[in-house]
Amino acid sequence: MIIKFLIRGLLFLIGAFIFQVSLSGFSRKVVGRIQKRYGPVFWQNFRDIFKFLFKKTSISHGFIFDFGVLMAFGGTMATLIFVPFGNFAVIPGQTNFIVIIYLLAIGLLGMAMSAVGSGNPNASIGISRALTQMLGYELPFLIIALIIMFTNQSSSLEVLVNSQIAGTWNLIKMPLGAVVAFISVMGMLGKKPFDSPIAPAEIASGPLVEYSGKYLGILMIQHEFATVIEVGLFVNLFLGGGKTILDFMIKYIIVYILMVIISSFLPRFKVEESVKFFWKWGLSISIIQAVITLGFYFS
Amino acid sequence: MNQNEIIKKIENEFNIDKKDIKKIDSKQFKAFIKNSQIIDFLTYLKNIGFWQLSLITAVDWVDDNKFEIVYNLVSWELEQNILVKTDISRKNPKITSVINIWPAAKYYEWDVNEYFGIDFIGNPNNGKELFLENWDGPPPMRKDFDPLKYSKNKFPEKDYKNFKMKKQSEVIE
Amino acid sequence: MNTKELIEKIKNIVRGHSLYMLHYCTGCGAIELPPTMTSRFDMERLGIAPMATPRQADILLITGYLSKKTLRRVIYTYEQMQSPKWVVGFGSCTINGGIYYDSYSTINRLDLYLPVDLYIAGCMPRPEAIINGFKKLISMIEKGDAKGWEHYIENKKWYKKNQKKALGNSLYTTR
Repeated sequence: MIIKFLIRGLLFLIGAFIFQVSLSGFSRKVVGRIQKRYGPVFWQNFRDIFKFLFKKTSISHGFIFDFGVLMAFGGTMATLIFVPFGNFAVIPGQTNFIVIIYLLAIGLLGMAMSAVGSGNPNASIGISRALTQMLGYELPFLIIALIIMFTNQSSSLEVLVNSQIAGTWNLIKMPLGAVVAFISVMGMLGKKPFDSPIAPAEIASGPLVEYSGKYLGILMIQHEFATVIEVGLFVNLFLGGGKTILDFMIKYIIVYILMVIISSFLPRFKVEESVKFFWKWGLSISIIQAVITLGFYFS
Repeated sequence: MNQNEIIKKIENEFNIDKKDIKKIDSKQFKAFIKNSQIIDFLTYLKNIGFWQLSLITAVDWVDDNKFEIVYNLVSWELEQNILVKTDISRKNPKITSVINIWPAAKYYEWDVNEYFGIDFIGNPNNGKELFLENWDGPPPMRKDFDPLKYSKNKFPEKDYKNFKMKKQSEVIE
Repeated sequence: MNTKELIEKIKNIVRGHSLYMLHYCTGCGAIELPPTMTSRFDMERLGIAPMATPRQADILLITGYLSKKTLRRVIYTYEQMQSPKWVVGFGSCTINGGIYYDSYSTINRLDLYLPVDLYIAGCMPRPEAIINGFKKLISMIEKGDAKGWEHYIENKKWYKKNQKKALGNSLYTTR
């Protein structure tokens, strides 16, 4: 029984890795075509990750530095097991939304620990900006998700997906909430205009500044897994999941390419401005949406 | 006051010869002062309206065996630029610093001290390094310093007479 | 060939097609880098992208003349990069001194202080010449010919002796 679940989990991780890395390589070609040039080949991100894993030397800064990287990678892999992918779930019946949100914070905390252990002031500035921005985008997203769970009286993602397939999508039932959740997911992924924690030309890559060689390869894989979790949550909550795996993949590709196109022509917010933006517009629109939906539910 | 009135006022105050003050164009003129009067002259100019010090630099006259120090002062109300020049000897170059009149003169005099070797009495930074690190030669802006000889001595260059293409493993001579 | 050589050959092919260059512009030749990176002469097709820190970069570009003060800081940067790493010399000032051959503060030959793998001639080389040079570097890496970093480790005493002669007998900053 346990062996069967382990094998299913391993196959799911390898499949998600191949799917997401080739999709992000393809998105570099899309950005290139917007800027009127050809981009790299679509398997370019595989070459980048394997080049970092094949480096001969890497520098370590002590025990906390190594431990933080492993904690981030392991926590993200453990979270990915709980996300349903179409009609495929690794452990059928165990796809709870609250468990996913709880485990998703381990990735960021792991990176914060290792950035503190490295001793570079650029890393501390980057991590403090990332945690400040997390204050901004979590609140509107959780209000919308709580309303969805309340009107369906369940917090299991499979139940939510099945109720959408039987009825109408949540995108049509609560459109304002879908827009707020879309912008919050863009903040979670670190895409422009919310990429102030990484900020390449300003603080030299933020928390990633002291990683070299194999550590950076592991962190790049962790970033791809986190993308699958977050965009997968959006597709499951608002677009009705998918009857088959192929159905889910098509919806995922459309949402991801739309995010890449929007972030390719916008500049960058300051951290205070992004928190103000989320609390002024995100919170007010999500509260209006909550009042409307609860009004319909109780009448 | 226009330019001619300013020139006449300065000439009367300090008894300067007519040939030592000259116009350059309608907004600039230059004056040549003896070494003993220089501090009084600069203080007087600051009081009548030339309150900004723009530059301190030096010119090396090798054949006449002297250094010439140039002060560039600007007045915004009178709209005039003045160049004040003095001479000091080349063998033992010393002059009093103007750091008590304009505190910004600290960095200009430090620069002239490093590149020409002139000693400014009263400036606390004489002898410390500002731009050049670990410098081991004569002050480089003097006219009797040969940069080509220094460069050939310190930074070896490519030998083209006995030139043959070598592999990377044979580069060590 | 046995398995060890086969694995090394696959690793070299992967390394050759994904090079991150350090975005550190040392001299006046760096003005030809933005046209090479943007839309007209696209450099991202070859897999080369700019990266902000020396710990994550593979190529160090010395673009143009190198003064004594910059040489001290470039040696710090070179020793922070992780191997395998490559150095490319741009312009004629790195080959024999260029138009600043008689200056008291610029070096005349880069070969004595850092191990150079490829020179690109010109004053400044145009973007077409830069892309041509990078294609030659990629083919050198795939064959396994670009071993500058091993040469630096094996002959470290000779390089340090030359560096000390140029920098005035102390390799660390004075303030």
